[in-house]
Amino acid sequence: MEPPEDANLGLDEAEEIILRWDSTASEEAREKMIFEGNRDEVDRYLLAVDQIQRSISSVSISDDQAKVNSAIQIAMARLEDEFRNILLIHTSPIETDTLTDPSSSIHSSVGAARDSSNSVSYRSTSSIREIDLIPSDAVIDLRSIAERMISAGYLRECIQVYGSVRKSTVDSSFRRLGIEKLSIGDIQRLEWDQLETKIRRWIRAAKVCIRIVFASEKKLCEEIFDGVGTAIDDACFMETVKGPAIQLFNFAEAISISRRSPEKLFKILDLHDALMDLIPDIDVVFESKSSESIRIQAAEILSRLAEAARGILSEFENAVLREPSRVPVPGGTIHPLTRYVMNYISLISDYKQTLNELIVSKPSTGSRYSGDPTTPDMEFAELEGKTPLALHLIWIIVILQFNLDGKSKHYKDASLVHLFMMNNVHYIVQKVKGSPELREMIGDDYLRKLTGKFRLSATNYQRATWVRVLYCLRDEGLHVSGSFSSGVSKSALRERFKTFNAMLEDVHRTQATWLIPDSQLREELRISISEKLIPAYRSFLGRFRNHIESGKHPENYIKYSVEDLENAVLDFFEGYPISQHLRRRSQ
Amino acid sequence: MRATENNQGSFLNRISIRRNQIVSMDVNHEQELQDLDLFQKRVSDRFSNLFSPSDESPIAGAGETALLSIAWLRKLLDVYLCCEAEFKVLLLMGRDPAHISKAPLDRLVPELLDRAVKSLDICNAVTHGVEAIRHCQKLAEIAVSALGQKPVGDGQVRRAKKALNSLIAAMAVEDKDGIGGKFSDRAWSFGRKGGAGSASSKDRTVGQFRSLWWGMAKGWSAARQLQAMSSNLVAPRGAESTGLAQPVYIMSTVMMFTMWALVAAIPCQERTGLATHFPIPRHLSWAQPMIGLQEKIADEWKKKEKKGSFGLLDEIQKLEKLGFSLTEFAESFQFQAESDRLEEVATQVAELAETCQKMEEGLVPLQQQIREVFHKVVRTRTEVLEVLDQSGKVSTPTM
Repeated sequence: MEPPEDANLGLDEAEEIILRWDSTASEEAREKMIFEGNRDEVDRYLLAVDQIQRSISSVSISDDQAKVNSAIQIAMARLEDEFRNILLIHTSPIETDTLTDPSSSIHSSVGAARDSSNSVSYRSTSSIREIDLIPSDAVIDLRSIAERMISAGYLRECIQVYGSVRKSTVDSSFRRLGIEKLSIGDIQRLEWDQLETKIRRWIRAAKVCIRIVFASEKKLCEEIFDGVGTAIDDACFMETVKGPAIQLFNFAEAISISRRSPEKLFKILDLHDALMDLIPDIDVVFESKSSESIRIQAAEILSRLAEAARGILSEFENAVLREPSRVPVPGGTIHPLTRYVMNYISLISDYKQTLNELIVSKPSTGSRYSGDPTTPDMEFAELEGKTPLALHLIWIIVILQFNLDGKSKHYKDASLVHLFMMNNVHYIVQKVKGSPELREMIGDDYLRKLTGKFRLSATNYQRATWVRVLYCLRDEGLHVSGSFSSGVSKSALRERFKTFNAMLEDVHRTQATWLIPDSQLREELRISISEKLIPAYRSFLGRFRNHIESGKHPENYIKYSVEDLENAVLDFFEGYPISQHLRRRSQ
Repeated sequence: MRATENNQGSFLNRISIRRNQIVSMDVNHEQELQDLDLFQKRVSDRFSNLFSPSDESPIAGAGETALLSIAWLRKLLDVYLCCEAEFKVLLLMGRDPAHISKAPLDRLVPELLDRAVKSLDICNAVTHGVEAIRHCQKLAEIAVSALGQKPVGDGQVRRAKKALNSLIAAMAVEDKDGIGGKFSDRAWSFGRKGGAGSASSKDRTVGQFRSLWWGMAKGWSAARQLQAMSSNLVAPRGAESTGLAQPVYIMSTVMMFTMWALVAAIPCQERTGLATHFPIPRHLSWAQPMIGLQEKIADEWKKKEKKGSFGLLDEIQKLEKLGFSLTEFAESFQFQAESDRLEEVATQVAELAETCQKMEEGLVPLQQQIREVFHKVVRTRTEVLEVLDQSGKVSTPTM
């Protein structure tokens, strides 16, 4: 409250008041604080200060001038301490119950407590929530002190005091929010899952820091200093928050420069998105020229995070292509690499909104003409109209298959090579079909291609295994013309049966341990085998059993009935060894 | 047949990757040796300039650029950036990516990258230190403003004294039980008993200063960081000293020296035991200017170490010297001082004003330059890591 206009103090009286409150002079002056006492005392003191300041120009004699100057200094020193004291009394770090993400709160207090004379309004984002850090009567006192200090030329002292008290308050708030001071070295040494937790915490804390803590500090500076001088509120604000802001961003910066590896992609995208969300608020809170460096740093970090995401994707592709493990998975089942990659790109499709913005260039693939045998080709002509991200996902599937193809060659059994590829490509197809976003990006055209591939693998498998088995059941070579037989060579026939039985037993024993995890695919393949095997055997039996049964030990040759075979097929691709060999279940 | 296949593959590789290189190996080798020599010479020349800098820089003001002044540090950072840029070209341009993953580079390059990451923390620590210096600058400016008024009266002197006491206290924070302790009491006009602040005034003042600018993680030490950076820095010998091991060593040394000089000049968290030497073998001809600089700086550091110094920055030294001197004046000030004393004080105040002016003009650009160094180091490291990953041979996880 301003002292009443009509009250007037003589210069001597004013001086006396100032000197009475000289803390270097008397014990009593040290013990009490003016602004903690009664308001009359406050008003009188301020009046005295005003009087002294007014009299600088009117006093002419050098002695008096010296007295006035001295009095001013004493008054300013006193006011500085009063200023500091008021700030300290009202210093408390922000209560943790107010520390909820403002963008998630339903109400946003639109400058409800703000002084109506403040014309500054920067509420362009609704997610900023300023709170009153200091009660308004204290603010008024602070303002009345600040005005006098600044008009007496004690601006620097004012800023120093303000900055030092408010800064340590912000530091305390930071500690409550769980913001740690970690060096880049510390962050490099932490395990990634620990970092994930810290990133999550940082995201929550940063939102509160920028939208509440910093925004409120800025409002406080404006309330106290706005209009008192040029850009003083700015200077005080920067004095208060520059250090903490740098400390806040250092964490995000350290994450953005950490070593890239595929598992980091999604948390880095989270961090990127959170920061991107905050940039408008950062631009508003730090809009002044002197806080440019903070805005710049935030933008730099955002761009580095984007780069990191791109780099990780690129590295992931590299890793998939060059994944070197050679140990074949037992039973030709789905390779862990396949699962990992398909899960990974499913997650990528969840983040497609951000990644579509970040990924702008096509994957660097081998061209058809490079002759480089270590990289597959991919022509983009047939993939018109796809986003770069979608192209990358398709490319990843291409290189996954390429890698799997290489791995499949380590199986000694040619049939297993095909079964393995069938299993894995089928899995890819299922995963794509299972995710609408992924399916939409990959596209049904390519999906059809993949489907064709695993069907081809199935066909190749059948050819590799069953051609030679069924070869035993062919007609040619069994008929002879001769004088003693009725046209069928019994010995050849016996050979055939024996070979057929041996092959079948071998295939049965071996391929029961192979695995087709997908039950539908398993069933389909068995049916397909049956459709060829069973009729062929039935017909063979039908035509030639008499010849065997009319000879010695027919049971050595006709070991199995059609039903036996049907049952045996059921053992295929179960993934574990048969408990009993192919048995004659029916006699 | 196998052999032919392999040859065929690598032949094709050579065609596609080294398209622009001349086939003749001899010419390549010559060129490379020349490039390495040139790099070495340029480094040496630049540091020679720093040793006895000429007067071209407008920032230097009248006279030479004093060693470890703000202007000199900015020149040092320029030198660093130039060396860094040339080094990057040497290491990465026009080369088969696989060359970085061959011995001895397969060990030396990851070590360099590790050093680079450590230097980033030093950049951050130094940035905080510059903020601390700005704080001191503002206190000094109060004194300048107060003592600059004519005639110097009682009030102004008291004002100046208060600011100067705060200044000395701020600069003495690193000094555990030295002179600074006495002055910290006077940051307040009087001691506060109890009250909302609770802690005693001295602790609060010191605590305030500490919280103001020790921005690094608890337990972080600039001295230990530098020690860690230099621990595996060994000059290549024998066969290794031709080829790229040499420029990697040179660049590492340049990096070490730059960071070390920054830490010596600018207040940084925890510098006790700052190794006054990191070993540069004396016989290296290109390193002579750097060794000379190192000796000079190390001497200064040893002199100041016992008292505990805020930093060797020329402007800080001036602030310390003038701060003490003017405080003495303020302490003993009678109402009318002798005119020649006043003249002496006026000269000192003018010098202080000039120093503040240099700080005002130079500190923010210095911070920006440090930031630029930060960026360049990150960028180069990223590019080198990409090359290493491409060649698919990164076995041990590097930083």
